[in-house]
Amino acid sequence: MNTLTDRYLAATLRSVPTQRRDEIATELRASIEDMIDDRTGGGADPTVAEREVLTELGNPDVLAARYADRRLQLIGPTYYLLWLRLLKLLLSFIPALVGTVVTVVEAAEGEGFGAIGPGIVAAMQVAVQITFWLTLTFAIIERTQTAVDVPEWTVDQLPDAPVRRGVPLADTIASVIMLLLTIAYLPFQHYHSWVRGTDGENIPILDPALWSFWLPALIVVLALSVIFEIVKYRMARWTWTLFGIRALLNLAFAVPLAWLALSDRLLNPALAERLSWVAEADNRDSLGLAIAVGAAAIVVWDLVDTARKTRQQTSA
Amino acid sequence: MVSEDVLRTHLQELRRGTVVVASLVALRRPDYGYALLQRLTDHGFPVDANTLYPLLRRLEDQGLLTSEWNTEESRPRKFYRTSDEGESMLNRLLDDLAAVQTSITGLIQGVDR
Repeated sequence: MNTLTDRYLAATLRSVPTQRRDEIATELRASIEDMIDDRTGGGADPTVAEREVLTELGNPDVLAARYADRRLQLIGPTYYLLWLRLLKLLLSFIPALVGTVVTVVEAAEGEGFGAIGPGIVAAMQVAVQITFWLTLTFAIIERTQTAVDVPEWTVDQLPDAPVRRGVPLADTIASVIMLLLTIAYLPFQHYHSWVRGTDGENIPILDPALWSFWLPALIVVLALSVIFEIVKYRMARWTWTLFGIRALLNLAFAVPLAWLALSDRLLNPALAERLSWVAEADNRDSLGLAIAVGAAAIVVWDLVDTARKTRQQTSA
Repeated sequence: MVSEDVLRTHLQELRRGTVVVASLVALRRPDYGYALLQRLTDHGFPVDANTLYPLLRRLEDQGLLTSEWNTEESRPRKFYRTSDEGESMLNRLLDDLAAVQTSITGLIQGVDR
């Protein structure tokens, strides 16, 4: 015999503790038959009545969980916040740390820029591993009902109320990303510009001779600017000291750039062989001038804007 | 206009604990699962079968109900009865229910005035 009721009972009892299975089976079968009888007594078709009753009892897994007093959740409210805090804490530095170590090791083995790929993959793998094992641990704690001493919350744990920041996080992140992209572009254009020589070899946009001093110097200035952005975010507001450092950094970048552009030392002379427009001296002069004026305009605008913010925030 | 879902959730919350009280009261007279379900429904305590049957088990495990198999009828039935322990807990629960009712009445009158 394999009626719907039999199948329902089997499905329910599958996950009920063994020692009570038979008793629950007998009782539940009797209850189901009572419910069916009640409906057929009212004139309903037995098959229809059986379907209705079993539908009313609902998903056998849910019923079984209620019999076994089992939790239908991976991590309940008792441990959820602790789990979340640990997860955030671990993910905040371990993957980045491992990724950096792997990148450095690969780079030391002569992988060059190819070392970034394995670093990112390692960081992602570590993040997935951390998430999995931490979640598994908590799911087990939840199920075994081990009494874990979750530290009681006290008022002393309250974080400082957020101060109104003169330096929004989004601005800092945007600036840092822009700086990093600029830093990355300098070596990148050396290997992958869009200009190809007659043999299909890559022609850098910037004069390779600049690598002897000027380009590394500019990269150092940009790297200092990244540090500056982070320090500025930590200090949370503009001060005149910060303004001064910002001005110095801006000038340290813009002045050499403008000077190189004006003295026609910025662009790779090899470009002229491929782009006839660049070959003409007049055009090169105007381009140099445009770069110099552009750099100067950006510096001036940035300093005016920064001075305005600094005055607002220091007077408040 | 309150949405039906919100209303249903609050009613469920309000009713949740009363099923235990109602069952302990009803089982002062021994009864089996489905008959109890019908009695509760008749007295205005509609309860789902898939809630009540596991609940009876749990109350038995907690010693608030005792049970006995009756095999004389056409099919074997497990009869539950409120135990002495269950009775004393029921009295505490009923006191509390009355206290809630009193407090609510007092609050309503206090606010109305």
